Parts: sequence; C-alpha cells; structure tokens
Amino acid sequence: MQYGFFVDGRRCVKCYACEVACQQWHGLAAATWMRRTVFETVEGRFPAVSRRFASLSCMHCEHPACAAVCPVGAIAKRREDGLVVGDATRCIGCRSCALACPFDVPRYRDDKTMDKCDGCLSLGRGPDEEPRCVLSCPTRALHFGPLPEMEAEAASCGGARLEGATAPAVLVAHRPRPDWASQAAPSPAATDDEVPFDGAAPAAEN
Amino acid sequence: MRHSLTRRRFFEGAATLGALAALSGCSPKVAEDENLANTGASPEIETVNFDEYEVKHSWCYMCGPAKALCSTLCYINPEGRWVHVEGNPVAGNNWGYGCKSLCAKGNSAMQTLYNPARIEYPMRRVGEKGEGKFERCTWDEAIEGIATKLQEIKDQYGPETFALWSPQECKFVMQMGRRFLNVFGTPNYMHSAICQTQITSSRELSIGTKADTYPYQLNKTKLLVNWGVNGENADMNNNIDKANPVRRFDAMDNGLQFIDIRPMLDPLATHASVWVPVRPGTDGALALAILNVLVEEDLYDHDFCENWCNGFDKLAEHVKQFPPSWAAPITGISEEKITEVARMMGTIKPMGIMYGNSAGDQSNDGNWTCISINLIAAITGNLDVPGGGGAGMKMPPELFDCSKINKVPTLSDKLPSYPEDEENGLAPSRSRLVAPEFPRWWQNPDTWAYTKFFVDPTSAANRGIQSVLTGKPFPLRAVFSHSTNPLSQTRQPKLVAEALKKLDLYFVMDTGWNPSCDYADYVLPACTRYEDSCQIGSRNMPEGTFIGIEQQIAEPLGESRSDWKVYLDLAVKMGFGEDFWNGDLDGLLRAQLEPTGFTLEELREKGYIFVERTDGAKPEEPTYQNYEELFAKLPNGKVQCYNEIIGGMPNNREDGTLGYLPEYVGPPEGIAETPEIAAEFPLIFTDVHAHRLSVHSYFGNLPYMRERNRLPWVKINPATAQQYGIEDGDWMKIESPHGWVKMVAEYFEGISPEVIMGKRGWWQDCEELGEPGYGCFDGGSEVNNLYDATIENFDGFHSAMAKQTLVKISKWEG
Repeated sequence: MQYGFFVDGRRCVKCYACEVACQQWHGLAAATWMRRTVFETVEGRFPAVSRRFASLSCMHCEHPACAAVCPVGAIAKRREDGLVVGDATRCIGCRSCALACPFDVPRYRDDKTMDKCDGCLSLGRGPDEEPRCVLSCPTRALHFGPLPEMEAEAASCGGARLEGATAPAVLVAHRPRPDWASQAAPSPAATDDEVPFDGAAPAAEN
Repeated sequence: MRHSLTRRRFFEGAATLGALAALSGCSPKVAEDENLANTGASPEIETVNFDEYEVKHSWCYMCGPAKALCSTLCYINPEGRWVHVEGNPVAGNNWGYGCKSLCAKGNSAMQTLYNPARIEYPMRRVGEKGEGKFERCTWDEAIEGIATKLQEIKDQYGPETFALWSPQECKFVMQMGRRFLNVFGTPNYMHSAICQTQITSSRELSIGTKADTYPYQLNKTKLLVNWGVNGENADMNNNIDKANPVRRFDAMDNGLQFIDIRPMLDPLATHASVWVPVRPGTDGALALAILNVLVEEDLYDHDFCENWCNGFDKLAEHVKQFPPSWAAPITGISEEKITEVARMMGTIKPMGIMYGNSAGDQSNDGNWTCISINLIAAITGNLDVPGGGGAGMKMPPELFDCSKINKVPTLSDKLPSYPEDEENGLAPSRSRLVAPEFPRWWQNPDTWAYTKFFVDPTSAANRGIQSVLTGKPFPLRAVFSHSTNPLSQTRQPKLVAEALKKLDLYFVMDTGWNPSCDYADYVLPACTRYEDSCQIGSRNMPEGTFIGIEQQIAEPLGESRSDWKVYLDLAVKMGFGEDFWNGDLDGLLRAQLEPTGFTLEELREKGYIFVERTDGAKPEEPTYQNYEELFAKLPNGKVQCYNEIIGGMPNNREDGTLGYLPEYVGPPEGIAETPEIAAEFPLIFTDVHAHRLSVHSYFGNLPYMRERNRLPWVKINPATAQQYGIEDGDWMKIESPHGWVKMVAEYFEGISPEVIMGKRGWWQDCEELGEPGYGCFDGGSEVNNLYDATIENFDGFHSAMAKQTLVKISKWEG
C-alpha cells in the first residue's frame, strides 16, 4: 500500500511549525539543510494579491527517479508503505539522486551521504502513526496516510495529486483565489517561474 | 538553506542528469521501467529507542516566560540533554484533547536552555552608566546592595519613586512582582500600554465587563471581522484565542467567511473573503465610517438600540459627520469598499469581531477606535447571540478544584492610603501613580477597575520613565526591569536610555544581557523555566481536567535563579519575608494545590495529572441575550453609545477631560493628517508588533528562529522601492521626524506602495549563526526610534502610543 501526504494549502499560514518540528526531531542543525520546506507563491499586484503556501518534502514517488539512478542501490522503495528511504551505510555520496530527483529533494550530510525525509521511520513511527510534521501542524493542514485515503480527502476540497513522471505520492489543495485577488493580471514573476505542481516560487520569507 | 522548485530548475536538473548519464554510461530510465521502483534492497532502519529517554513535563516558555498555555512533553536523551519537545496530547492544547501540535517557537524551546547568550552570574556595575563595565558579585551582595538602596530611596523620597518595569503579561511580574510592590508601598507597576488590557478596558467602558465582541462559538459564526489582529503571528497554537487559525479554518469549512482589516497581506489575510489594507493608524476613521453607513442605511438592530443602548440617538447624530467620503482619503480605502464592508457587517449575522494589537493599543486614539468597534458589534445586534460576540458554551465543572491554581494574591490592601487619595475618592496610593496608565479615578476596584487585570494600580511605562527627565509629577528614583529590554519595548529608546542613566538605582533580571543592562547597577541572571519548578497550570475541558507543573529538566546554569524567587529573596532581606512564605516558594504552590487534593510532591513526581471525565457531562448551550445581567454595571444598565463613564471625566494626564462620543485623532504624522510633514516624509512606516518567530523583541538569538529571520527586514512594494533605486535585499536608510534606522528591503506585493512595514527587536545576536545584533538607537534597526513619544499625543484614556509615522527612504551605501 502506497502512503503519502495531503498538503491542505487552504489551511496553511506559513507558520514554519512543520519545518522546525522536522528539524528538532531529526537533529538537523539550523542553517544546514532541511527536509521539509513551506513554499510560497505570490501572485498579482497590490491590492489584488494572493499568496499560496505548500509544505513539501520528499514526494515518496511511486516510481522514484532517485532509486532508479542510485549506482549502489542505497535508495529503496519499501513494499509495506511505499516510502522511499536511503541507506547511509551504502551511500557513496555521488549525488546522482539529487540530479535525478525532479523535486530537488536530496541533501547531503557532512559525511557526504544523502539525507531526506524518511517519514519519521527512524523515530520508530508505527504504521498507524503520523510523522512529526503532521503531528505538529497547528492548523491541521498536513495529513499522512494510505494514498487512497489522502486522495479522497483532497478530492473533497478540490485538491489534486501532484503531476510528474515519477508519480509523486503527494496531494495539494488550495483555496480558489478570492474575488479581490483574481481581478488583476498576475505579476510576471509568477507566470514565468511556475512550478510543475502549482506549489512554489521563492518569495517573501514571512 | 532554501530551495525553490521552479520549472526552470527542474529542466536544468534534467539536462544535467542527461550529461551525467552520458558520462557514466547508464541511461536515466525514470519511471519507464516499473521494476526500477524496487531496485534498492529495503534497508534496516536504525530507530531511536525512546524507552531510554526521560520525558518531563513543562509549560511552554516560548510565548512568554510565565505562560501556561501549551503543556509540553520534553524528551531528555540518555546523556541528559533535552533534545525533543511535543505538545502533551492529554492537556487539550490548541484544537483540544489529543492534540500534539506546537508552533515553530514551541518546537525550538530546547535552544533557550542551551543558548550561549545566557548570563550565569550576578554582576555589579563598576564603570559609568552606559559604559558596560561590570564585575561579578555574589547573589548575597547583589540582593543586599539592591535592598539597601531601595530602603534608602524609600526613606528619602517615598516608596512611590520605585517602579517595576514589566514585560508582556507575565505572572512572575504582574502577580508576584505586584505583591512585592504592594508590600513595599508603591503603586508604580510600569506597564507597556501595548496590550490586551488596552483593548479590554475599552470594551469594559462600552459594552461592560461580561459582554464581548469576540465570538466564543465560532462554528456558528457567519462573519468574522479580523481587525488588526495577527492570528498567524501571535496565536498559532493558543487555545485561549477563540478564533485561532485552526478554529477559524474549521469554521470556514462550515460556512464562515472573514474580513481581514490589516495593512499587510499576512498569511491569514490571504484566506479572507475581503482584505481591507487600511492605512496604519487610521482604523478609528474606518470604524466611524462603518458606524455611519450602519446608521444611514438603517442596518442597525432597532430593538437592541432602543432597549439596550445608552444615547443611541446621540451616537447616530454624531456619526453623520463621518461618511465614507470623509474616511476614504484618510484610510486609503475607497468609499465603495468601506460601504461594502459596512453592509457586510450590517447584514451577515451572526457576526463576531476580533480586534486588537494594532487597531486599539498602538494608535493615539486607540480607546475611541476600540469603543467604536464595540459599538459596531452592539448596534448590529451581535452581542450575546449564538455565533455572535461572547455567548460561549458552558463547560462541565472541573473534576477537582483549580480555583487557586496559577494565581498569586497580590495583597493590594497593603498599599498605603494617602490624604490625597481619600480627598479625591481615589483607591489607595492612586495619587502616587507617576503616570496613571488609565485615569486615576478609573483605577478603583470599588467602582470600575474590578476585573482581574485592573484591580492593582498601574502606570504607563513610557510616560513613567519620562518622569525621570521631566521631574513631572515627580521623578522616579529606582526601576527594576524584569525580563524586558526597555530599549526595544517602547517608543524612543534614546530618550529611555537618558532616563535610565539618571536613575539612582536601576537593576535588571534577564536570561541574557540585554542592551539596557549597560545602564544597570546590578544585573541578575535568570534561569529558564526548565531549570526550576515554580509554576502550576490547569485546564478544564470536556474530556476531563488537567493540571501540570514545570518539572526541572536541568540544573540552573551557573548561578542563575528563577524569576519567581527574586522577589522572595528581596522581601526576606527587606524584612517582609512573612508575606513571601519566608522565602520558600513551595509555600505558595502548596496553597495553590490545597483545594485540588493533590500534593506538591505528587505533582512534581508525575509532572502532570489528567482526570478523565466519566460522568458523561458535556458542554451545554448557554442562555442568550442576558442583557440585563451583562450591562448591569454600566450607567443606566445599557451599552454606552453615549459614554457616561468617561464623558466629562479627567483624562489620564489630568490636562483635560474625555469626551462622550467617539472621536478621530489619527496618527501624529499621517498622509491625510499632516500633509506638511508628508511633503518631506512621503511614506508611512509601521511594524508587525508580534511575530511568530520571536516573542516580543526576543528569540533573535535562537538558531531555528534566526535562520528564518536573519536580517532586519522591512516589507516594501517593488514599485516603491524601484522609485528609489532600491533592489530586493538592499539595505535602506529609513528616516522619520523622530530618528532613523537601517533595515533590509524585502520586496512584497502584499503591501501598499505608500506603506513600508518592518519588525521590531533586532538587538540580539545569534552566536551559532554568526548573525550580529543591531543597535537600539538611531542608526541601528530598532523601529521604536522612528515613532513619536510626545506624552500629550498618547491616548488620554489607556495611554496607547502611535505605532505609525511618516518616513523618507534611501538606499544605504554605508
């Protein structure tokens, strides 16, 4: 059974709780690398502006490009939950996975081995439990579970699965742009640089 | 490190991937071969064994050093280091029983304990004030030195010349510190006047102490007006806020829509049905124009106004002079939009209004702004109706008696009464307030100030500290700043520093060295709440009743001590230890616990106790529209449309009287208000008072917070910045008629081209990240340098100060 995330951008206020929860539970020092990031898109011009937020991490793809290219078999897709996990004891730090990943997920530790979201398996998370980012989300914008359940939840509020050849196991919903924000033409930055999953362009930090 | 997933980057990655494949001779078959999905052998995953960890209970420290809002479980590893934290699921945090959530700050709590900026020893000044030369001393020497000097000052100048400068709402200062002041004999608790108490006092003046505009049953509300409130910054995980983000989103699934009235498109605002980017400091004009539309278009509740409003006709006549055409050029909001918003507020029912921390307590006419907002809720018939203001469900009773928990009796009857008090009908020592935050006559528990925040007297901090320079009405001689940096808390730090220099005694207690310590005679090292066990909190909820205490997680760093205990130490030294449990704080905690039936030892051992509700009792629907009871203590038993509490009474400066009907004053420097100043200073400057990555001006020294807030930013519309040749990320010089700062431009479309908006509090450095602190004076990055501090401009009822000014900007080349 493939598990995945439903990221409900309708409830996200970019509070950073998921990011910091991930950092503290996985011992990631500040200003090194992060496993989870809240992305933002700002569209329009004042006063017809809207912002959209999506907290994203490893997509735990059904067809993970990282695993496909790893020359030493250090990345595996688990049969029991479909999570894509790295094996630091095998990793040779060649960074092929970073080049293969369409979502720019893999990061590298000081010892050059790859690091990314493991769905909190290293924290001993049980099959029916939720990862730390989900548990810590103050607005209940993040959800994790069997993909069909996530698909149903997302569908009920207009969300959709992220598209991509690797079949990412992540669904995202956004609130329709409010009337006041959809009247003006979008700003050039937003159209030019739009992400494949309508998620994120770099923008204001707060 | 931040990465953006852009399509361009995606294509670049794919291209590089092809190059790598060519070099390595293997083809990047992505997703075409299904077997590839399982090529790697599933590794053994090394898991942390949390059975080896000790889990201790604490109340979260991160939105205030003595809050008991979020109960947390703290994981201590086998080496004794506190490494993880989560919300305690049985404490009913945030969305309720079962919730483990914490905000970003809460998740970084460990970094406060292991912060290299901590100070470890008491210090005594040896150089000139401001010079920064200190030597280590013992606690005995510090307490002895402070106590001796306090006694001298009391004997020579009177007890009222000693003031305690409080931080935010903080129980060890506002309760324990108050108790010390009362026994010492001074009424001068110096409060910021930037607070929920400003908002609360205005509400009490207009609709009474028991009514509210905040909706207590948000799931039944159809329209929420979010007016100057930063829910995403101040209340992310706070279950006291009736419309905190999670509750609001739940209610939106149930049909709630909300209007967001704030200058900047903060994250919650982007979820609103209507965003009203009002010019900072002009909310009062907007509120008056909304009242105008409600009256002119007959959108008020006739039955309520006839029966439960005092002087509705006078208000109706009064607001005729404030049509949207009057407010539009002041507020920067078009007539059409003001009318649209007013019609929504007049027709969508039930409506709740949450307002504050910029709409009421940080503008010169904050009291009238708050009163006007209260009157909007009242005359539209939205008080005490299901889904409207107030009217919460009735919780089943506590399963054990928590009535004394987290309360320190302040012994207000110990304050001396002077002839001037008695002659003027004032409560004890009110005549000795150096700068009454609220009018002296109002600060009387026998008449008005009888609710919990107001029973003890209070002075406004900024006005109080200015007494040192002006001698009016008398100069303060001694000040204790506790857990606050006065050079970042209030307007005009340079003025504050001059005053601190002139004090006979200035002492500070804090966990780190704040810039005001340079002016201190003694600096006392505070430990965090994780290094002692001094506070108990409780919560009653449908599932049961919870009580918890801070458990000690680590020994206090160096000689640091609990903030709670400094008052006990001083009291014992000064000879009034009997009123302070003879120096043993556990005496207080035992008294708090007595009615619960639990012992202190039991609670300290367990950390927390949750008693599950088994009687089947559920929250019950209240009775509604209890207007007779709600308004009983108001003049004529009615909502004060025509305010007979303050009307004709002396203001807090005693240089004039307060009016009966809402007035608009506006900011001391404004585009519409002072066009002559605007000619030289064309942009409006304001700041976000609360921010989710800091608590007031603190936590810029925590790595997880600072990496997201590295530089002193100011949001600026790109169109404006480009006019001045300022690129995104450039340092800017920002100059007002009152001072200047350097800040970094961050382009943002969600702010008006005529407004720029920063964040205060950049004085802390972050050693781990190599980020410096920025100065508190002109040329630094402290936004308070820009604002007006003219006492005569402050709100005449609740002392609010403007948080808006006009500025000119230029690229900083220095």
